[in-house]
Amino acid sequence: MRTVQTETRFPLSSVKPLEALTRYRAHCLSETQKALGAGSSRRSASPITGAPLQPFGKVGSFEYLICPDTGSLFMAELPPSETWAKLLRQIHQHRHSPGVFHSELAVSRADRVYQPKVEWIQETLALQGIHRPALLEAGMPPSDLERLLTRSGTFSRVECVDEMALAHEGLSRQSSFEGDFQVAVLLESLDRSDDPVRLLEKTQRCLSRGGLLFATALVASGFDLQVLGVENRYLYPPDRTNCLTIQGLQRLLERFKFDLLEVSTPGVLDVEIVQAHLAQEPSLPLSRFERSLILSDEPTRQAFQSFLQGKGLSSYARVVARKP
Amino acid sequence: MNCLIFGYGYMGKIRYQALAKHPGVKKIWVVDPHLETPPPELSGVLLPAGTPVPWEQVDTVFVCTPNDVTAQLCIEGIRRCGRVFCEKPPGRNWEEFSQIAQAAEAAPGHTLVFGFNHRLHPSIQAAKALLQENRLGEVLYVKGTYGKSGGLRYRESWRTKAEIAGGGILLDQGLHMLDLFHLFLGPLKVEDAILTDAFWNCGVEDNAFVLLKSQKGIPAFLHSSATLWRHTFHLEIGCRDGYLIASGLLSKTGSYGREQLVIGKRQFEDEAMALGNPREEIIHFDRDESWEREVQEFLSAVQEKRRPTHGLLEEARSVMQVIRDVYALRGPSVARREL
Repeated sequence: MRTVQTETRFPLSSVKPLEALTRYRAHCLSETQKALGAGSSRRSASPITGAPLQPFGKVGSFEYLICPDTGSLFMAELPPSETWAKLLRQIHQHRHSPGVFHSELAVSRADRVYQPKVEWIQETLALQGIHRPALLEAGMPPSDLERLLTRSGTFSRVECVDEMALAHEGLSRQSSFEGDFQVAVLLESLDRSDDPVRLLEKTQRCLSRGGLLFATALVASGFDLQVLGVENRYLYPPDRTNCLTIQGLQRLLERFKFDLLEVSTPGVLDVEIVQAHLAQEPSLPLSRFERSLILSDEPTRQAFQSFLQGKGLSSYARVVARKP
Repeated sequence: MNCLIFGYGYMGKIRYQALAKHPGVKKIWVVDPHLETPPPELSGVLLPAGTPVPWEQVDTVFVCTPNDVTAQLCIEGIRRCGRVFCEKPPGRNWEEFSQIAQAAEAAPGHTLVFGFNHRLHPSIQAAKALLQENRLGEVLYVKGTYGKSGGLRYRESWRTKAEIAGGGILLDQGLHMLDLFHLFLGPLKVEDAILTDAFWNCGVEDNAFVLLKSQKGIPAFLHSSATLWRHTFHLEIGCRDGYLIASGLLSKTGSYGREQLVIGKRQFEDEAMALGNPREEIIHFDRDESWEREVQEFLSAVQEKRRPTHGLLEEARSVMQVIRDVYALRGPSVARREL
C-alpha cells in the first residue's frame, strides 16, 4: 500500500473561503431542514460496523452521532431516499448558480480541486499499467470532474451517473452497469449519501474484476475536524451528512473485500481552516498549544501541515482500492 | 519442485524463507560447510558435511555464497541441473562472469537468473511505469547514490578482502545502482571514474565515483560508498517535464529510511509562485515484495519453460562490463586485484 504527500500549496480563499462557505452552508442547512419536514427516520447503528451510534453533538439544529468503533460521524435523522435525492440535486444546482462560491471560483477550483484529481487518477493508472479504461463517476451530473476527465483523453469512456439513482435502484431508470467499468470515482459522494454502504456496494458492482475505485472524503480524523468538532463550519448537511474517519473509510472498503492500494490524506488546508475559524471567533475553545500552533509563523504552520499529511491526520482523504 | 541452496548467510536465509513459503516447493536442501551451529529451521534440511549433493533430485539451485565460490558453484549448477538462481555479483570479475556465460551458452534450455532485486522495489517499479507512460518527457540525466557505513566489523568482513570479494563497494552495492541505470537508460559506457580507499584502507575501494553515458548520450553519475555514515539510497531521474527521486529502501533493518518516490513537475515563473520550488508529490511505500517476486518469477519461468523477465545474463553482462571498465581505468591505484 502507498501513501501520498503533496507539496502543492494554495490558499483556502482560492477554493472554499470560510465567509462565502458560511452563506452557502446556511442555504444547505435551511434546505435540509425543509427536506426533513417531510418525515424522517433515525439512524441507530453505525453503517460501518453496526455498533450502536452514540451522541456527538449538534450542527445547527441537526444532531450528529458517532460510531464508537471508528470515530466516524453520521447525521442522526434522514428523510426518505426520494426526498434526499431531490435535496442533493437542488443543492447541486444551487452550487452552479451566480453568487455561490463554487461558481464564482469555478476556474480556480478547476485548477486546484479537480485537475489534481485527474492527474492522481492518471498517475495511478500508469503505475498499475491500466490503459484506456472506461470510467464511471458516481456523483451529481453535470459534473465538473467529468468534463476534465473526458478532455484528458485518458479514458475510452467517461460516464457520470447520479449517485442516488445508482445506490437506490428504482429512483430513476438507471441502466445496469454490472462489471462495465475499470475505474470508478466517488468524489465526496460517500459524505453526502443517505446510504454510503449501499452506494459503495453498487459502485463495486459496476467495476470489473481488478477494477480501481478512487474515493475522496472529508474525514473526521483530520486535524481541523478533531480540533473544531461540531464548531467546524465545513461540517454540515447535506454535503457532510456522513463524515467518516480514515479508519472508518478503510473498514468500509475492506468490508467489500477491496484491496487497498493507497490511503492518503494529502490535504493542505487543515491549519488554515482552524486559523480562519479562530479569526472569525477568537473565543473558540482551543488549547494553549493549539492556539500557539495556529498563530505560529508560516514555516511552522507549513511544516505542521506536511506532518499531518505524512501521518494520515489531514481531513482531506483519498483512497485507491482494487476490486478483487 | 526440489531446491538446493548453497550458502546460508544473509542472502541464503532470505531465499530459504521465500522458498519455504512457496506452494510449488516440495523439498529444500541447504549446503553450508561453514555453518557451525545449524539453526533449528534447518533440521532435516542442512546436508551434513561430506554428504554428496543429490543432483539427480535437484530441480533448481540457489547460489548464495561469498563471491570467491559463486562462479564455480553457478557453473556446476548450470552443468548438473540447468536451472540456477545466482546472487550478485555474477562472479568476482569479468573473467569469472565470462566463464559463467560460457557454461550457460553450452547448456541449451537452461534458466539462469541473477539476483538484481532492486528492480523490483516498489519505488523503482513506480518510476519505471511513469517513465514508460512518458508522463515526464525524455530523460535528461540519471544520478544515483548508494552507500552504507560499513560498521565496526566491516574491515574483517569477506566483502573487503580483494581475493574473496573481487572488488570493493562498487562491485558490492554499486552494482545494484548500475543495474538500475541500465533499466532506465540501456547500455552504458564509462566516461570517467574515481576510486578511493581513504577510510577503510582494505585494499578495495570504499568510494566509487563513476561518470557514464548511454548510447543516446544521456549522462549518468554513480556514487557508491562504504563511508556514508547515514545509509543512503537515492536515485534521481531528471526529465524534460519534471523529475523522479526514488529514495529509502524497505530493508530488514529499515536503515535506509522509508521508501518513497518523489514526483516533481517542472514549473517556471509562469506556473509557480517561487521559481525552483515546483509542485511535488511523494508516494510512500510500505511493502517490499521484491525477494518473493524474484523467487516467484524464477520458479515460474522454470515451470513454464520460458525466458525469465529480469535478472538475465545480458543484464548481468552490461553491469559487469561497466565494472570491468572502471577497474581497468582506475583499479591499480586503489587495490591489488586480478582483472
